[in-house]
Amino acid sequence: MNVHELPMIIFTILAQMSVGAFIVLGAIQVVARFRGRISGEQLDRLTDPALYAVGVTLVLGLIASIAHLGSLGNVINVVRNVGSSWLSWEIVLGLAFAASGFVFAATQWFKWGSTGLRQALAGITALLGIALIGAMSMIYTTLEAVPAWSTWVTPVQFFTTTILLGALAVGADLMGTIMWRQRRKDDVDGMSEAEALDLQIISTALRGIAVVAILMLGVVFVVTPLHLTALSQGGAAAVASAQVFSGGWFITRLLLVFLGAGLLGLFVFRFARESQSNPRPLAVVATMAFGLVFVGEFMGRSLFYDQMIRIGM
Amino acid sequence: MSEKLGFYFDQSRCNGCRACQVACKDKHDLPVGITWRRVVEYQGGTWQVDGDSFQPSVFASYMSVSCNHCEDAVCVQVCPTTAMTQNEDGVVWVDDSKCIGCRYCEWACPYSAPQYDADQGLMSKCDLCRDYRAAGDDPACVAACPSRALDWGPIDELRAEHGELAAIEPLPDASITSPNFVITPHRDAQPVGTGTGHIVHEHEG
Repeated sequence: MNVHELPMIIFTILAQMSVGAFIVLGAIQVVARFRGRISGEQLDRLTDPALYAVGVTLVLGLIASIAHLGSLGNVINVVRNVGSSWLSWEIVLGLAFAASGFVFAATQWFKWGSTGLRQALAGITALLGIALIGAMSMIYTTLEAVPAWSTWVTPVQFFTTTILLGALAVGADLMGTIMWRQRRKDDVDGMSEAEALDLQIISTALRGIAVVAILMLGVVFVVTPLHLTALSQGGAAAVASAQVFSGGWFITRLLLVFLGAGLLGLFVFRFARESQSNPRPLAVVATMAFGLVFVGEFMGRSLFYDQMIRIGM
Repeated sequence: MSEKLGFYFDQSRCNGCRACQVACKDKHDLPVGITWRRVVEYQGGTWQVDGDSFQPSVFASYMSVSCNHCEDAVCVQVCPTTAMTQNEDGVVWVDDSKCIGCRYCEWACPYSAPQYDADQGLMSKCDLCRDYRAAGDDPACVAACPSRALDWGPIDELRAEHGELAAIEPLPDASITSPNFVITPHRDAQPVGTGTGHIVHEHEG
């Protein structure tokens, strides 16, 4: 475990998960509204708890990033070099994504403005989120001194984490919302029509999430060997950073992501077809899938920072 | 516009005594873990076929590096706060009133010039002994070298006198940051990218 860079691990993972979850929630909204089987209001009631969870996650991430700094007193200076520093852009876009997201969440909470206005706000927030992950990637991709980072693999890794963790977090969130509403009922057969429709919509969403998770797992398992091969053929620093991808920690990380996104992804897909009578198995599997992948990605990000091995002296 | 300043290092004269490293540490009163000027030993070797026998062919050389006050100073470019400042004379220094200690410059520099001072929560680095220069003296590392292997001055003059070579193994390719640095290489020095040796005793001194 890279304790030294723990604040950066927490910040990058949580910020990427927030952006991913926001985009996945948006995709669910778009698809469900397009199909038109559920009213906008009923749909909002399903996805809003997850939206607020995104905000909490992002705030925790931003707090963690502050722990990375040595001199908080000067922190206001961090945006001064937007002319040439991607780190300045990361902060600007991180704050912009947070601000836009909070305004959007407030309009959802208080039902301010028209639906169209709120949708436009959500769209802007999503674009800011994508730009944030882009700037975050550039921080590392532009560092010629670090061979393991200055490659196309860094943005691919970051966006994969964004979508993978975002999708699975939303899956777990949505099932949590359903289970919370059902918590006092012994007999789930007694669901109202609205509740049955909710479950149906969420089951469809979870099928999509399972497919996305399995696709992202595919990306991880294609990119990792390519990255390793390229590093192994480089100079001494590149070879040393390739060796970081070995041993029990690395294997455990791959296994966790494989089990969470791959195996449990299949179960999520399967249970989502049969959950109309009882949502519990789907909730359990969706939560476990998220938990395993979260730990696996966290361990992977720790390895990413272990790969800060520079050329030169 | 004033002239850009830089360092000159005659590798063929260096015997790895680290007087420059210690003089720097002493002059700036650097804590344990911070070493602005560092000397590393670069070693390697192979076997040569000599008739029916194999003869060892080995080499070792030293490289003394601090900040090279680069033309394309990557630390200045990546610093989010503009604390990493470059003077007209090319000297790069940390403005303590702006630095947040995020260590991004440390990641970016292939010469390990910016180093983190955990007690202060700030980055620290070589400023080419600004106060000594102002008083008309040589930087501490240059003054301390018993072999006269180090020198400093306007980089154009150093290049006119000693040539253009700014990188050999184990240094990074000079095209990355365009260092204001000139080297007279050791006879066994290897061009960048063709190194067969490695840095040894890295944590010595």
